[in-house]
Amino acid sequence: MNGEIAHNGDRIRISGRFSVKDLEDVTTSLEGNSARHLVLDFSNCQSIDGCIAVRIWSIAEAKNAKGASLEFRGMNPDIEAIFNTFKAIDDRPALPVQKHTLLYNFEDIGDKVLATWDTVYGLAIFTAKAFKALFSGKVRGSITAYYMEQSGVMAIPIVITLNWLMGVVLGYQAGYQMSQFGGELFMPALLAYSICWEIGPMMTAVLVAGRSGSAFAAEIGTMKVRQEVDALEVMGFNLYGYIVTPKMIALFVVMPLLITAANFAGMAGGLAAGGIFLKMPAVVYIAEVRKALIPFDLYWGVVKGFFYSTIISVTGSYMGMRVRGGPAAVGRATTSAVVVSIFLVILVDALLSLLFIHIRPGLLL
Amino acid sequence: MAVSLTHLEKSYQDPSGKSFRVLGPIDLRIETGEFLCLLGPTGCGKTTLLRILSGLEQADSGKVSLGAGRFGYVFQQGALFPWMNVESNVMFPLKAKGMTGSECRSRAAEMLNHVGLYGFSKSFPHELSGGMQQRTALARGLVTEPELLLLDEPFASLDTRTGINLQEMLRAICGRLSTTVIYVTHSIEEAVYLADRIVVMGHSPGRIVRNESLNLKWPRSRLSSEFTEILLSFRQTFEKLVDPSATLSS
Repeated sequence: MNGEIAHNGDRIRISGRFSVKDLEDVTTSLEGNSARHLVLDFSNCQSIDGCIAVRIWSIAEAKNAKGASLEFRGMNPDIEAIFNTFKAIDDRPALPVQKHTLLYNFEDIGDKVLATWDTVYGLAIFTAKAFKALFSGKVRGSITAYYMEQSGVMAIPIVITLNWLMGVVLGYQAGYQMSQFGGELFMPALLAYSICWEIGPMMTAVLVAGRSGSAFAAEIGTMKVRQEVDALEVMGFNLYGYIVTPKMIALFVVMPLLITAANFAGMAGGLAAGGIFLKMPAVVYIAEVRKALIPFDLYWGVVKGFFYSTIISVTGSYMGMRVRGGPAAVGRATTSAVVVSIFLVILVDALLSLLFIHIRPGLLL
Repeated sequence: MAVSLTHLEKSYQDPSGKSFRVLGPIDLRIETGEFLCLLGPTGCGKTTLLRILSGLEQADSGKVSLGAGRFGYVFQQGALFPWMNVESNVMFPLKAKGMTGSECRSRAAEMLNHVGLYGFSKSFPHELSGGMQQRTALARGLVTEPELLLLDEPFASLDTRTGINLQEMLRAICGRLSTTVIYVTHSIEEAVYLADRIVVMGHSPGRIVRNESLNLKWPRSRLSSEFTEILLSFRQTFEKLVDPSATLSS
């Protein structure tokens, strides 16, 4: 039986069982009555559908807002329970709104400083544990070789291409400026220093951080989400030895080689720029480069490679290990791994540059 | 006695830094060879308790005593290593304990035989159905013949028929090996079918609200009146946890 609605001035009596089909009739009846104090009598009403109750409640609220009222009478316990639930929801205290006061801004800064400190502290502890595992555990040869292939061999084309292009651009721009003063013969030395001291190692580190650091974070993060890391831990494996050190060893081997390849590719780019734009013979370019560089300049790239390998492998692994929750956290970890790795690479590069000018033979301060 | 938990408590911090207790205090003793089901609604701390027992998480206070030396853990989603085939996955815990290749292989083959996966030893996890993956996970958990086996809703994502088959298989293998089992589930029927004893946990914070040994003989029939009676009794307890005002009509 459908519900029936009877009007009597400022009183509306509803009887029977009200289903969703009666929604429009109930709405029309309640909204069509303009009495300031309207009484809704449920005395003969056995039940109402949830959506009818929601509509009645919202009409009552709308009337209240206009200064009118809708009073409920004669409700059976079931119907009363529904409206009591609505009332309890309405009566809940509003969530405190955080005002952007000066204090809030200081708190926000403080929270961010603490979060950054947590990351730095966690990363330092993680690095120490990774080195401990590196010196105390056995080398997992096959998986290390896999990471060497992924992070090293497969990175060769992009590292060489980009560094060659950097060499062309630097060679052309430096040569053009110097030719204004008749000093184009100094271009090979300038370019060789720039490439070997900074551009080659830095570009390689950025590329490896983007390719491999993110891949390490994604791989370990996915293992965390799928509980594979927990499974390894439960079986008694040293997670650092099993997961982190193969990546570290792989980068220790391939980074210096990639940086050396990048240095030569950059200088080859300079050779091309000199030949095409400055009409500089190759023998002259090579002779000038050999005059400028000493073996230390190339070894310096290897030293930087050791630091960058540590940063990229440990940061990628750490961000992966920090993953909590679902796949979205893996994406965030990947982004963090790349951003933090590149930041740390640049920071360490700046510190190493300060050291470099003090230890390189032949540099005048 | 295989496991003893004394006044165990665990809290987490919410994003605002406020601490809230998720577990405890929990006091529980589990006898050697006992099959105990931890039953409770989602979020009551069953998995947290299991992770504390396995050492994956630390309790804030209280004491955990494990009489068992070797233990296995079967995860909800299997947690098989996707780069290894079924045989390598099952052999992996043995290799972790320093066992040699041929011995590993024969133990893995034996366990794969027990779980009915002998012909699939060279398959990779992604080539298997959900039920077969869980069988592999079970074989990996049991291959070291653990004195204590922890299972975290291992068959929750499987269809009813496959789940029942695996429950029967698990019970048979654990009975044969006399393994102490702690089995986490939110399925009352699964708990009543499998357990020697059921511990029902309530939430906010996770605590024991009912701890009862079952007087059901083996083999158990899900259609017997005793089974139904116990099932309804635990369902009533369970529904009161979810909605304290609820009553169950028979």
